[in-house]
Amino acid sequence: MVKKTWPLVLVALLLTMLALTGCGSTQNASGSDNGAEASTQPSAAASTDQPASSGEKMTIKLMHLWPAGSSKQHNMIVNQIIDEYQKANPNVTIKQEILDNEQYKNKLKVISASNELPDVGMTWAAGFLEPYVKGNLFAPLDDVLGDGFKDSFVSGTTEAYAIGGKTYALPLELNITPVYYNKAIFAKYNLQPPKTYDELKQIVKTLADNGVAPAALGNKDRWTGSLWYMYLADRLGGPETLKKAIDRSGSFEDPSLVKAAEEVQNLVNMNAFNKGFNGLSNDEGKSEFMNGKAAMYMMGTWELPNYTTNESVPKEFRDSIGFFKFPTIDGGKGNVDSWVGGPGVGLFVAENSKVKDEAKKFVKYFVKRWGEESVTQAGVIPATKVDTSKVNLPQMYIDVLNELGKASNITLFADVQMSPAVAQVHLNMIQALFGGEVKPADFAKKHEEALQQESGK
Amino acid sequence: MTESAGASTAAASLTAWPSERTLPQRLGRIALYAVLIAVAVVQIFPLVWLLLFSLKNNQEVFNLSPFALPAHPRWENYAKVWTEGNISLYFWNSVWMTLTAVALTVVLASLVTFALTRLVWGWKKPVLGLFMVGLMIPVHSTLIPLFQMFLKAHLTDHPLSIILTYTAFNLPLTIMILLGFYYTLPREVEEAAIMDGCSVNRLFGQIILPMTASVLATVVIINMIYNWNEFVFINTFISSDERKTLTVGIQNFIGQYTTDWGAIGATLMISILPILAAFFALSNRIVEGITAGSVKG
Amino acid sequence: MDKVMSDKRIIALYVLPALLLVLVLIYVPIVLTGYYGLMKWDGIGAMTFVGLDNYSRLVKDALFWKSAGHSFLLAAFSTLSLIGYLAVAMVLAGRIKGANLLRKIYLVPMLLSSVAIAQLWLKMYHPSNGMLNLVLQSLGMKEPIGWLSETSIVLLALFVPIIWQYAGFYILIYYAALTNIPSSLIEAARIDGATPWQVALRVKLPLIAGVIKVTIVLAIVGSLKYFDLIYVMTDGGPNGASEVMASYMYHQAFRSFDFGYGSAIGFFLLLTCLVVTWLIRRLTASGEEVQYS
Repeated sequence: MVKKTWPLVLVALLLTMLALTGCGSTQNASGSDNGAEASTQPSAAASTDQPASSGEKMTIKLMHLWPAGSSKQHNMIVNQIIDEYQKANPNVTIKQEILDNEQYKNKLKVISASNELPDVGMTWAAGFLEPYVKGNLFAPLDDVLGDGFKDSFVSGTTEAYAIGGKTYALPLELNITPVYYNKAIFAKYNLQPPKTYDELKQIVKTLADNGVAPAALGNKDRWTGSLWYMYLADRLGGPETLKKAIDRSGSFEDPSLVKAAEEVQNLVNMNAFNKGFNGLSNDEGKSEFMNGKAAMYMMGTWELPNYTTNESVPKEFRDSIGFFKFPTIDGGKGNVDSWVGGPGVGLFVAENSKVKDEAKKFVKYFVKRWGEESVTQAGVIPATKVDTSKVNLPQMYIDVLNELGKASNITLFADVQMSPAVAQVHLNMIQALFGGEVKPADFAKKHEEALQQESGK
Repeated sequence: MTESAGASTAAASLTAWPSERTLPQRLGRIALYAVLIAVAVVQIFPLVWLLLFSLKNNQEVFNLSPFALPAHPRWENYAKVWTEGNISLYFWNSVWMTLTAVALTVVLASLVTFALTRLVWGWKKPVLGLFMVGLMIPVHSTLIPLFQMFLKAHLTDHPLSIILTYTAFNLPLTIMILLGFYYTLPREVEEAAIMDGCSVNRLFGQIILPMTASVLATVVIINMIYNWNEFVFINTFISSDERKTLTVGIQNFIGQYTTDWGAIGATLMISILPILAAFFALSNRIVEGITAGSVKG
Repeated sequence: MDKVMSDKRIIALYVLPALLLVLVLIYVPIVLTGYYGLMKWDGIGAMTFVGLDNYSRLVKDALFWKSAGHSFLLAAFSTLSLIGYLAVAMVLAGRIKGANLLRKIYLVPMLLSSVAIAQLWLKMYHPSNGMLNLVLQSLGMKEPIGWLSETSIVLLALFVPIIWQYAGFYILIYYAALTNIPSSLIEAARIDGATPWQVALRVKLPLIAGVIKVTIVLAIVGSLKYFDLIYVMTDGGPNGASEVMASYMYHQAFRSFDFGYGSAIGFFLLLTCLVVTWLIRRLTASGEEVQYS
């Protein structure tokens, strides 16, 4: 026994010593407040030659949320662009840090508290952006947008990232939210894509009566249910009502917003959604649709690869999916070309970055190249305009891009428009609304109270 | 837990020693065994399920029953995970960081517990109290302060930040468990040793510490489990990919809008094997410690 | 002997390293948490001092008290389940064939990470494909139960995996304590005519009383600050039906960007644990730890 404990202690000491010298990595372990280290990164095929070039050596830290495991194509494009940039600028090394979505948001918060942001990172628009801008953490990027670059963006996308007239991030994605449907199931019950809301309700009834879940929904994540609510609000009250309620030039207790809440509950009571939706994540909800158990699925255009190019989804399924626009409601003010959607993540440059100019240059290059590669390679619709004549795309993409071209309005997702605290109230209320736990009038009231409290009593 | 079922016959079997049992009491004993085995099944089916779904693809996982066998076992999930996910790197990181932190924690905790129960000094109660308060802080409260501290100490993205944090946070629990055992150790042995001129260090290292072998195995297991599965601190303090661990590697497969279940399953299986192996190795030690007559000479 | 055992340098050597580590890495954050609790801060920009505003808001916050109630409920369930674990450990420590193997099997859930356990139970509770509902349906149930979507049962549904996760841990501790009891004592009692039942109650229990006290504190405090499975499985939903104090704090600090308030909650949680621990010690205080004669 004795002989066995002392070696343990020695091993412990040895390991601790190794830890002190940063064993297990090839990297210089000192703090990263000095941006001029040259360092290499194993997963990016970065150029390892550091020729004695004329430019000063610098490192740009990039933090993003597309891990190779789940966002393979996104990740590939990122690496490709980094490669290109590093080859063209041999004095620059780009170091990546990759996290998944939720961890990314957490980490961003923690490092912001210490003002330790990476040189380039990702952010969402509007309400998410606000605290960071208020805290002076993001650099304005209007100079990057100058000399015509702004025109390459779809109108409205960069605006979502503007606060007080200055733009703080450049969007990488643009998404709208159609309702996908399974043509095979529709054909089986002799259904056609609905043009009016009443037709939609009819479809719901038919499917529910036949034991098929009309629409797939995983509302544990809450923003998924919010999409349905937003369309109802738009079709009933027109695109401005919700927007005005949020920016405080209107009230959330507007009758059309209350009626939209009522309609949500009507749909729930008609069994429009798969069972137990309020406890299922979006992925679990989605699988109902992907497995042919639900006939419709309202989701963003980021899903398009699953219905077109993604080889791991059975071809038969992919070929049987189409989409329709959310129908209009009789007597409502919204038209069928008004969409819920908006820019996805955008790239920001940290205000206190030591390599700010180079970082801005990189961002501009990245956004431009991303726009050129993302549609064909990752099936992502970029925020920069896409020339459909130059690219070879599946039909569904062309249809979506055409719809985008004639959209009358795109309303940004509610939980992104709102400030974080109000967004939480909204999301919780959505879950309560769908679960029948709150009355429509109270639903509206709670929103109104939260919005009022935020903006000043 | 349902082991209280069949209590009456089971209890009946407890009222007599094995050699004296009557038939109904033997039946009661069988009922007891049945319950224990049922509980074991409940506890072990997660591994079975994990193995199964690590060999399926997404469609099968979502659609079929958890116990349905995969149509073709997709061993490529494992291959994919090893190559694409950088798993071998994360695996090694998990191993050495866990072991280091565990060793450090156990050594420091033993020293403290020995001092608290055997050495003579006045501030035992307050010091013990200080350690115990450490049990009570919710992890997320500490993220921002700790990050700022490590930043100032230039220890962000350094394994030392992780090892020290794990040690600090595990010390209270480890000390608490060790304490209960140290109290039950008899005093005559040490009194005799001191009489014989033994120094405190020798007393601790060669006499007391070996006597605690069984509980040491216990706290090593407990610490290993915590460190091995931890990810909040890693995610916050570590940024370079080369230093990340297995749990973070799992998170790598959970992306913005999709999840790859087969890959997650494979990663989890790979992550569990070392812990399982260590556990089986150590739990034998517990038995050894007991049978070696560690308590009474 | 006392002279040897009270050498100040030795004591410092043994105690200080651990103490310093804890003071720096745990107490500094505790103090900072208390400090941030006095601020209005979104975690990013500037802080403004608001004194005890956050705390008075806490007292009036119905949602917080709801989450506190849930935490305490979990604590109650956890403590009660300790009895079950003790029983199992007692049986195992007795003359059971295969006790070794059984003990190892019981510990398996503990080895899994929270992510793995959450995924398993999410599948179990799945409304149409989950193990539970499939079994119930085959027994004739008509409407599938939404284990995680019905606000009335979601909290209880979550308790099951939490308790299941820790079963092995407590059984292990009790088992180690029980097997540490010298068999001579048990033999002596047996010779005196005690039945196994009496041995369990009168001899074994008192000898491991210290360990039992430890586990009670662990179970309660651990429950009060519990976070993992709640966060991964329901994120406190639907609409706060399964929210506990730690998840509520997380939401305030990291989602609503109200770090000052979140810190106040964290600090309050800490104080609660302290008070509860002190209460437990008072209630179960026995003069001396039982020692072997």
